Amino acid sequence: MTREARVTEIFVEVADSLTDDFDLMDFLQQLSVRCMELLNVAACGILLADAHGSLHTIAASDEHTRLLELFAAQNDQGPCVECYKSGEPRTNINLTDPHTTARWPQFATRAAETGFVATNALPLRLRGRVIGAVGLFQTDPDPLGQADIILAQALADVATIAILQQRTLDTSQVERAQLQNALTSRIVLEQAKGILAERWNLSVDDAFAAFRTYARAHQLQMAQLAREITDGTFDTGAIPHAAGTTPSR
Amino acid sequence: MISDRMAAVLRLLQPEDGSDAIADVATAGARALDVDGLAVSLVTGGDRAELMWCSDATTRRFEDVQFTLGEGPGPDAIRSGVMVWAPDLARVHPARWPVLAMEAPDLEARAVFCFPMGIGAIRVGVLTAVRRTPGPLTAQQADDAAILASALTARCLGSDDPRAGAPTAADLPWALQHAVVHQATGMLSVQLALPLPQALLRLRAHAYSSGRPITDIAQDVVERRLRLNHDGHGNGKPPTAVDKE
Repeated sequence: MTREARVTEIFVEVADSLTDDFDLMDFLQQLSVRCMELLNVAACGILLADAHGSLHTIAASDEHTRLLELFAAQNDQGPCVECYKSGEPRTNINLTDPHTTARWPQFATRAAETGFVATNALPLRLRGRVIGAVGLFQTDPDPLGQADIILAQALADVATIAILQQRTLDTSQVERAQLQNALTSRIVLEQAKGILAERWNLSVDDAFAAFRTYARAHQLQMAQLAREITDGTFDTGAIPHAAGTTPSR
Repeated sequence: MISDRMAAVLRLLQPEDGSDAIADVATAGARALDVDGLAVSLVTGGDRAELMWCSDATTRRFEDVQFTLGEGPGPDAIRSGVMVWAPDLARVHPARWPVLAMEAPDLEARAVFCFPMGIGAIRVGVLTAVRRTPGPLTAQQADDAAILASALTARCLGSDDPRAGAPTAADLPWALQHAVVHQATGMLSVQLALPLPQALLRLRAHAYSSGRPITDIAQDVVERRLRLNHDGHGNGKPPTAVDKE
């Protein structure tokens, strides 16, 4: 598929986001995968700010805990934080340059451990406000071109639209509630991953893969399914999954 | 971002002499938010909640009514985990809270703002701000109220269990930005057959008693290097770890 065709597909998916049973978590996760593919980067994460102004990962191009932790290291330092605070994109940052990375020691160490050599951060913008950032990581040092950066910002705007899909007169409250709901849903998802991993004796990543496959096959919203699992109102035996590697107690 | 006034209120939550400063927090918090009263109600089961503390009679009356009726912004906030605002109770559509709507004209409260207290699926309670005049919160007040609610959540989850040890929950908001802590909480809730809030407490207690960061302990749990034993009676002993390998 050409790049144009893929971009078009993403915008069609955004139009779908205006329907009621739209799965925000799944959409944002797929959007980060698309960002990764279209921009030819190694990883992508979408981070939202809470009331304190610290950033939380809401979705990432892969759910491996190692990547989630790298994004978590950016809650108070790193290019995404600078981007969020200034509202300006921070592009083509060389992570192998000690002078550049001296500003964010913890983040730079984690990024280097993960094998990333360059990063970019784009703001999630909402009228004069910034609600978070999109982080892109590269394992090759080739800088993103101007066209890539424009596309990356467009994808970041798509994420903002999806997160704040509903529009009413009282936008300030609704927007705040939607941001809070997105942050809360993400935490519920992590708690549900842990419950499933322990119940099935699988790694958290494998448990999540089975969970997501089931949610998609049955057109269930991941956030809703995760909530029912944490509330104990959903029989997790109904979800097909691989056998655990070591015997259960 | 937090205002200076709310930052001063949060400092009251960590009194150095260990005295209970909750009454001060309620009064100072209401002043910082420019509202007439603040209340905290804690979840006792389902979407029922019980008033824990309250700064004034107007707020107490409103909390009593909405939790007795089981409907209103507070029960909605607990159920949904999302903030619920009613900046003018007189103009809320009667279908939203039909029984409350009948009581509302007799209440002094005109504007009510409810901020849920909790961590993901862990629902602790709700912080309610009440004003006797209608009108929205400013963006700064909304941020401040959300921050106060999360500080109170951390306090509630930190102080119930003496084994948690630490006098305050200052580490908690930071730790909660790590996916691995929530994953480990879910795993422990299955291992120990405990509800999520208690599982999180056990995780924190183990981190505290072993002197290691909660994120390290959580990582060990998720990678199955550490299991916590079921130690059903809170006898003051730190939970012991069994290494599987």
